[in-house]
Order: sequence, then C-alpha cells, then structure tokens
Amino acid sequence: MNVHDEMSENEVLRAASRSLSAMPVASPPDVEAIMASGRARRMRRMRRRSGVAGLSVAVAGTALGLGLTGVFGSAPGTIRTMSFTIASNPNGTATLTISPKVLIDAAALQSDLRQYGIPAIVTSGSFCSSGLGPAGFSQVVHVYPAPGPRRHILPPGMHATFTINPAAMPAGAELSFGIFRFSSGEQQADFMLVNKNSYTCASTPPSQLPGSGGQVVFRPR
Amino acid sequence: MSSQQTEFAAFFQASWEPCLRTVVAVVGSAQLAEDQVAEAFARAWASWPKVGRHPAPRAWVVRTALNAGASWWRQRRRELPLADHDLTAPSGLDDGLDARLLTAIWRLPRRQREVIALRIFLDLDNATIARQLGIEAGTVRMHLSRGVTALRHELTPAKNMEAGNERPR
Repeated sequence: MNVHDEMSENEVLRAASRSLSAMPVASPPDVEAIMASGRARRMRRMRRRSGVAGLSVAVAGTALGLGLTGVFGSAPGTIRTMSFTIASNPNGTATLTISPKVLIDAAALQSDLRQYGIPAIVTSGSFCSSGLGPAGFSQVVHVYPAPGPRRHILPPGMHATFTINPAAMPAGAELSFGIFRFSSGEQQADFMLVNKNSYTCASTPPSQLPGSGGQVVFRPR
Repeated sequence: MSSQQTEFAAFFQASWEPCLRTVVAVVGSAQLAEDQVAEAFARAWASWPKVGRHPAPRAWVVRTALNAGASWWRQRRRELPLADHDLTAPSGLDDGLDARLLTAIWRLPRRQREVIALRIFLDLDNATIARQLGIEAGTVRMHLSRGVTALRHELTPAKNMEAGNERPR
C-alpha cells in the first residue's frame, strides 16, 4: 500500500480547514459603511448609464474636482458630489464615502459636513493640527478600511468610508481633514481632531500624525 | 431598515467570515483579502436585487473579491519582494503543523488554492465551483485531486510520526 493512501481526501481537507481556520481574521466592518459604499457605486453606475459619465471622466481627467451637490436627484439625507457622498444613518451618524478618482473639493466637503452637524476644517494642499489634539477620535470617526497606526494605501479604485458621529465630538473640537494631491494622481487624506480655537496648518503632508487619527492614500484605478 | 436592507445585513453578518477566509486562503494576505471582500460586499449591495437571488451568493462575493484583486495584484507584482508561491504562514500559530500546512497551501498553484478554499469554506460541490470559476467540473476535480495530493505529502510524515509515537513500547 502506498503510504499516502493513509489519509483520505476528506481528512486532508479537514486538516487544511483546521489550519486555515486557525488564522485570525478581522471581524465584519460596520454594515452601514458597506451599504453606503454600495449605494455610491450604484449611483455612479446610474450616472454612467444616464450619460453623465462623459462629464465625470472629463472632470476627473482635468482634475477640476467640481462639487455638484444634489445634481443627481439625491434622496433626502444624502448629498452626492462627483468626489464624495455623505449619507445620514438612522443612529444619527453620517457616512462619508470618498471616491479615489476625482479631486476632492475641500470647500464643498467642509460645507456639506457642517450640514450634518459635523464641525470640520477641510483643507486642500495643507493639513491643520493642534498638538496631540483632543481625545476621543475613535468615538467620533470610524474609518473603513481601518487605517491602522501608519499610512494606509488603498488598492487602486477602492473607496474609503468614514462613519462620523457628531454627537461624540468633544466640546471645542473640530475634525481636521487635509487633502494632498500628488502628480501620480494619488490623493492622501489626513484626519484628526483639533481644538477649534488653536491649530496650525502646514503645507507638507505629515509623515506621521501627532495624535490619534489616520492617513489614507486613494489611488485611481 | 427596509426588508432588502435587513436581508442584506443578515447575509453580510453570516457570510463575512467564510468569504474572508476563502479569499485569505487564495491571496495569502489577510489585509488585502479584507479590502477585497469589503469591496465585493459593497458591490453585492449595489446589485442586491440580482445577487440576492443568485444560487450561491457567497460564491458570487468570493469571485468578485478575487476578480477585484486580480488587477491590483497585476499592478503590484513588480513591487512585491516575493512571488505569491513564496508566501509563508504568519508566525504565532500554536501548532507547528498548522504553519507548515499553511505554507504548503500557499505554495499550491492559485487555481488549486481556489478550488480547495471554495470546497472547505463555502462547502460547494464540483459543479458549483466549476460554474463560479468558469471551468469544467472535470477540471475542478483534477485541481482538487492535485492539491490534495500535494498537501497529503506535507501531512503524511507528521501523521506517520504521530502513529510511531503512539505505538506501544
């Protein structure tokens, strides 16, 4: 008898299953964030079908980054622009989904976040910080994919979603959101909480954030 | 929540782990797999009227995740220090056999890994795996057989050693 006959196919598969199942894997992310990302994808598909795609591509190609709030017949509670979508959730949070393809319009994003009760300083080509910043970032912002302690580079074409809870914002704090555009077409978003009345802005992308927050790099497909 | 949202949320909660484990088994990177599976679930929700009626929706998610990752891998291949057949198991596993077997799994050709992972975690039969991968059922059988044979080579010395240890003195 061949020695390999000792293990049946099922035994081998069970052993493989045990080994693969021993690997730790991430628990499921917030389903609301997944659904928000799916909704944004569906809207983009509808726009393409309705012929607005040509405009989208032209805008992306020339990096004009227009903020076309509400142009596409948004449902109440949802703001859609070429570069981002903000949707309100039943629990009072808002989900921000950022497209990797279009230059983010900082002024439009700041204004639209405020409509959801989220005080924010959104800057393009600079990032504002105030030392370590107020505590409580993780209670205010849930990012998917989670950026971790270091710069998180997303696969090309992948969106990032930020679920923001304005009710958890510490008094006197604002969300600082800095966007940097690189010649490669990549965009880097740096974000953290800052003290509303005491912060400084720098025009170089921070290599590391002084306090809790995150850095995400979007790559066009 | 609408009934569709409730249905999708239940599907997502029940299917996240098996889908993620399937993709991890194929791509070998938990972080990359997590990104790809999340993207696939977002696409599933974007097309939920269709995906919700799919005969094997978890397989749809896995296939979409793997397809989404294919172009990413192609673009990054030049930057990777290791080819995918050089992937090794993460350290920290308690059982030495696990680490060795995981390494053996990731040294299999990709198609064999896909077939084995779909069988193990999604419990799909050969015909369904064949439909998902766009290949013949006989080809699935061949990949499964070759993959199992390769893993058996890895497992058998350990099994023989265990049998030897258990032999009465």
